[in-house]
Amino acid sequence: MKQAAATSIGLGMPNITLAMVPGHIGTKSKEELRRDVIGVTAEQVIQNLTVMPAAKGTSGEPGARDIVVRGGFNAVNKYFVKHEYSDGLPIVPPTKEAIEEFLRFTERSPDEVLGVLLPDRRAATVWSVAVNGVMAGCRPEYMPILVATIEAMADPKYAVEHSGNTPGGDTLIILNGPIIKQLDFNYTQGALRDGFQPNTSIGRFFRLYLRNVAGFLLHKTDKATFGNTWRVVLAENDDVLKEIGWETTGEEMGYKAGDNTVTISRFTGGGSLSSVSGSTPEQLLPYIADSLLRFNNWQITFTTSHGHGTLRPLAVLSPIIAEAIAKAGWSKLDVKKFLFEHARMPAWVFERQLRDWNIRGVWDLKDDVVNGRIPKVFYESDDPNRMVPIVWKPEDFMIAVGGDPMRNNAYIFAHNAFLGYPVGRKIELPKNWETLLKEVQD
Amino acid sequence: MAQTNNDGYYEAYWPRGARQQKTRALAPRLDTLEGKTVAQLWDYLFKGDEVFALLEEDLKRRYPGIKFVSWREFGSTHADDEKEALAALPKRFKELGVDAVISGMAC
Repeated sequence: MKQAAATSIGLGMPNITLAMVPGHIGTKSKEELRRDVIGVTAEQVIQNLTVMPAAKGTSGEPGARDIVVRGGFNAVNKYFVKHEYSDGLPIVPPTKEAIEEFLRFTERSPDEVLGVLLPDRRAATVWSVAVNGVMAGCRPEYMPILVATIEAMADPKYAVEHSGNTPGGDTLIILNGPIIKQLDFNYTQGALRDGFQPNTSIGRFFRLYLRNVAGFLLHKTDKATFGNTWRVVLAENDDVLKEIGWETTGEEMGYKAGDNTVTISRFTGGGSLSSVSGSTPEQLLPYIADSLLRFNNWQITFTTSHGHGTLRPLAVLSPIIAEAIAKAGWSKLDVKKFLFEHARMPAWVFERQLRDWNIRGVWDLKDDVVNGRIPKVFYESDDPNRMVPIVWKPEDFMIAVGGDPMRNNAYIFAHNAFLGYPVGRKIELPKNWETLLKEVQD
Repeated sequence: MAQTNNDGYYEAYWPRGARQQKTRALAPRLDTLEGKTVAQLWDYLFKGDEVFALLEEDLKRRYPGIKFVSWREFGSTHADDEKEALAALPKRFKELGVDAVISGMAC
């Protein structure tokens, strides 16, 4: 109810009426549901449809370029925490001088609107990118990456408006291109851990931007049951990918080899695979395939008519695993085809997850196939033991390469499908990039 | 001994952006549900099919002339094509003579 009330402000209807079913639907018996809907909900529905609620105004806010607090470091941080501008860690105060340093690294006008972000429906300006970049502890030279990331966030295909949903997933930013080395990103051991300024601060920036410009605040517009914290940027090991002849994530998103790109996608969870062993793809990949099934459990709902196949699970392979597979002559697509054939489960297991455990009552695989909503591979016979995939086609699996080059581990990410669909953007550098970079790095 | 103040002095800017949405008025309310056509919108989650069935049962008992247009008519409001499904609604509501809408389910 709190989220509905908070979200309705950005939709222009702060007094929209709501009716409640007391408690939680998921734990009610049929008798309890009947009692509560007829005894409580119905009355509220009638009231909502027949009685106009009182008007609600919205409170005033600062202007887009206003100074909101003057004072010492502690006073500024206290103010920012009080007004929910901060994630709870100290922020770097966004002063005019600091912001202007960031703006030197883009040719875009500070007032340019990169998009309008729900739920608050605020303008995402280049200026606000710089402000939040300062706050997050980014360096000015990261600004082109920050701008590209927010362009991606504002892409309707990404669907940022779902970033406060119950599963509480968080975005992974995958970076490709020469900028990785130019800005000293970590792309080897510990690739997903904080500790390197660019990887860490840009990850933090993304979440600060979700808070401050998209408007996701816990206990208001963000209703994650648990939530994740921001994810460190994954810089792919482009060198290894080039050596083994596999496309980078940026190339798979449609960009050219050598382009600087960001790809953002939202993941609800995942986990590390230890000791992925074998010297051939046939030995290495079954473990990956099985793990994709284990980590993408309820998410298979997006494979059905709920998401029309928008599930894009991600496997990050350490370089030594990718090299071993490529040594056998396998391309990335070959890997994806193997995963498509082997990351399968019996149809009755697929349906049990969604129908019995996630309570999706009005659906089954046969109905979806017969009505042309999902591909025939999900209903090739009535045999409940028939093996069905978790994606619609091999290309739906995403594979990235990173991490410790000499450890045989992998990492599987569970995807949130159309509620954070992969979107890529090219990073635009200012014409005097090399000069500016030399200035700040000397 | 003089104390050094290491807290500095900062003039910090607002990290948000201007809202782009103005408040708009809600649709007028109905004087009664008797004889009215009520559409159901569902996101296919949280037992909405059962909730809508119970609401129908109870509201028909209270307002015998009430009519419902099932959620089956409109598709899910929370799927990958939700934007298209929502954009199509005003026209569909007009075609179907809808007077009011109940949209669910959130959690």
